[in-house]
Amino acid sequence: MAVEGLLYTKDHEWARIDAGIATIGITDYAQQMLGELVFVELPAIGKEFAGYDELAVVESTKATSDIYSPVAGKVIEVNCKLESQPELINQDCYNAGWICKMQITDMKSIENLMDLKQYEEYVGGL
Amino acid sequence: MRDQHIFVSVFEEGRSVLQNNANKSHLHGAEKKPKQTILYDRHIGLTDKSHIVSFAGYLMPLWYSSIAGEHTAVREAAGIFDCTHMGVFEISGVGAAEFIDQLTTNSITSLKIKHAQYSFILDASGSVLDDVIVYRKGRDEFILIVNAANNTKIKNWMNALFNNEICVDPEHTDRKVSGRPKVRDLRVADCNHDCRVDIALQGPKSLDVLFALIQGKETQSEITDLRPFQFMETDIENIMCLVSRTGYTGAEIGFELFVQPEKASQLWETILQAGKPQGLLPCGLGSRDSLRIEAGLPLYGHELAGKFSISPFEAGYGWAVKLEKDFFVGKVAMERISRKYDTKVARVELPGTKGTRPVRQDDGVLDEHGRSIGWVLSSAIIGEKQIALVYGDGESLEKNDTVGTYYLARSRSQIQQGRKPNIEKGELLEPDLTGKVVSRFAKF
Repeated sequence: MAVEGLLYTKDHEWARIDAGIATIGITDYAQQMLGELVFVELPAIGKEFAGYDELAVVESTKATSDIYSPVAGKVIEVNCKLESQPELINQDCYNAGWICKMQITDMKSIENLMDLKQYEEYVGGL
Repeated sequence: MRDQHIFVSVFEEGRSVLQNNANKSHLHGAEKKPKQTILYDRHIGLTDKSHIVSFAGYLMPLWYSSIAGEHTAVREAAGIFDCTHMGVFEISGVGAAEFIDQLTTNSITSLKIKHAQYSFILDASGSVLDDVIVYRKGRDEFILIVNAANNTKIKNWMNALFNNEICVDPEHTDRKVSGRPKVRDLRVADCNHDCRVDIALQGPKSLDVLFALIQGKETQSEITDLRPFQFMETDIENIMCLVSRTGYTGAEIGFELFVQPEKASQLWETILQAGKPQGLLPCGLGSRDSLRIEAGLPLYGHELAGKFSISPFEAGYGWAVKLEKDFFVGKVAMERISRKYDTKVARVELPGTKGTRPVRQDDGVLDEHGRSIGWVLSSAIIGEKQIALVYGDGESLEKNDTVGTYYLARSRSQIQQGRKPNIEKGELLEPDLTGKVVSRFAKF
């Protein structure tokens, strides 16, 4: 299940854009594919990323996956709760399981992201 | 070996899990289109298609509900596993016992009828071609269970031995393997009603599950009396089965049921229904892996053979190599290795609370001084701890020895942060996790 109002990547990240700030996480499809998450490596606050840069790493009992930055921006906040409760991503990937917030440095970088309808069509074709 | 990276499909490396489209062929391993097991339709009804991966050329579920939940079910109640991809050969007729005694490392002479034994098939240089279980049904009637990934290789190997196409003894190059029994692949349709495939029922409640399906008191007590590695033939709800007290989970009580392929779905469903009240769950590849790792059992290509060419002695199975036999293929090499080996497989317990980064295959293993002494072969998170099967210097991997582990870099950004993408033996490193060597095997 994906939700309305977010933007999505083909790598199954989501971004919630609000006043130049993107909150970022992984989609329900991604967390289902990965299974029980046990570890999240969060980005450093203040670090800048171009779009599609390796932003974070999530590991489940059986899989490791890089999380790519859906936008170009600077990390301003990370979800520290994930360090001890990575399962929040499994339980609530679009809210409590957010990974980080970024100050978008290049608004153009969000142009290629998919909306809900496009993402659902994309996932449906996988 | 082509199949080697298919084992990795249990641990999907890198990005393949999420970058689904581009890497689907990678995710699904072999170039050849993976086959469906005979229970595929059952799996599709029990789990999301996205949880089905290619393993040893077959599409199998990684999990149905969750790896941890299925693991716990087998430890506390029972679990049922699709093992219908496993290779099943019948070797029978005059010379069968003689042939298998040379084909495998363990002793056929000491294998009683209705008993099974763990064994190895080696080539002349001592490389492990497969680890197998040999079931003796009669004086010259055997069933050989081989790993799915090695099915074709072993079939070809037996043919090559029959046709004297290969050297079997480097010291006596004219030596031939004697005995010409009949070999039938019991998973191939032309064996008709003799066909058999494997479904495993494992865990403390597995006997109760069978009792719910077998009312006859006599049969019940016969099953109860089966010791590990003994088997019998009986009907379960009118389905003819070979019931064997064997398994790959370390469960003290567990069975493998060999059944006609066309009855496999029916048996699977019957057991699932009968087991439900007892807490039985269908179990996928993920829990199969974590259970066997927790028990210390080897997976071909990881703790046996593989890139380190791990021998049965190093793996902890020297007892299954009977050097007192006159001859078996690979004996000369085994005699040499048995005299001296400095490296071995060990089972290591490490912290694994939520938020601990899991150790993975190829991560470094360090001694208490931080010196690199080996590598992780397989690992699993079990509750609040991790169990790793590691390979390295034997003298630093004795029970209760303190060991450390070092996470290899698994992404570009980790390399940028200074994490090493590979390590050499002898390097001094700061351990990321510290644990200790525990007993080589564990029973549950």
